[in-house]
Amino acid sequence: MELIDDPEIIEDFCKEAAGLFDELEEILENLEEEIEEDSSGAEELEKFGQIIDRVMGSAQTIGAEEISRFCELGKVIGYKSSQTTDLPLLNVVVAILFDAVDLLRGMVTSLQSGNSKTLNGLSTKAFATRLKWLSNKFQNIDRASVESDVKYKDNKKMSQSSIDDLMASLGL
Amino acid sequence: MGLKADMKILVVDDMATMRKIIKNMLGQIGFTNITQADDGSTAWPLIEKANKEGVPYEFILSDWNMPKMSGLDLLKKMRATDEFKKTPFLMITAEAEQGNVVIAVKAGVSNFIVKPFSAQVLKEKIDKIFNS
Repeated sequence: MELIDDPEIIEDFCKEAAGLFDELEEILENLEEEIEEDSSGAEELEKFGQIIDRVMGSAQTIGAEEISRFCELGKVIGYKSSQTTDLPLLNVVVAILFDAVDLLRGMVTSLQSGNSKTLNGLSTKAFATRLKWLSNKFQNIDRASVESDVKYKDNKKMSQSSIDDLMASLGL
Repeated sequence: MGLKADMKILVVDDMATMRKIIKNMLGQIGFTNITQADDGSTAWPLIEKANKEGVPYEFILSDWNMPKMSGLDLLKKMRATDEFKKTPFLMITAEAEQGNVVIAVKAGVSNFIVKPFSAQVLKEKIDKIFNS
């Protein structure tokens, strides 16, 4: 049985994701206040990226692809926007991320009720375009994931097979 | 299964659903002795305690991105000690950026697995770690 068809796993995922969406909204509320006080709220955005990453990883694993794709965009925006001090742009970021979390809630509710693959009525495609547009605003920022102390000029994502090749070349 | 079923395994992930999925997969592979921790910072005392009691964890599966102590920091902490220098450590990640993979390899990771993965892929990774 595929994980997406396992009612127990789906129920667990949906409940856990709902709790994390609450945390994301709280972060965005804090962020709004920080921006009003002329602070970029880098720490809050980093935290946003970290939490949405958790949902993304589980969504990927259970096969909830659309939720995973949305979370990935949210994660990229969260991490990248944490590295900018452009307050007007950050205001747009917060507004769109609020909408993104709201839409994600709808998607998770839809999954919970059994409409996992047809998310009609949620306008996800149109919103994904907005998220991509926003993500492109940070094109000049490299880091789109958790921070590490090693910086690579071409820090491309690796597939499982390319990681396997790398590990093999290192004798692992 | 070539490996002993009661091999002592620690699964570290901050998402309970993921821990459950991984535990189920390990069960499908045939493993029975599985403990869970929700972060590197909660895993570390468990690892130390098990070692002190003379029943150390024989295999760690850890997510990379966790809030208090990341999988990478847990790995580094383990590799900095004589006791856990060689404990097999499988890093789980949703997105593997090249820089992160290289730093984990340098830190002494045993292997990497990228989400989403199946029980079959997990088994292959485990076989590779323990047969190399």
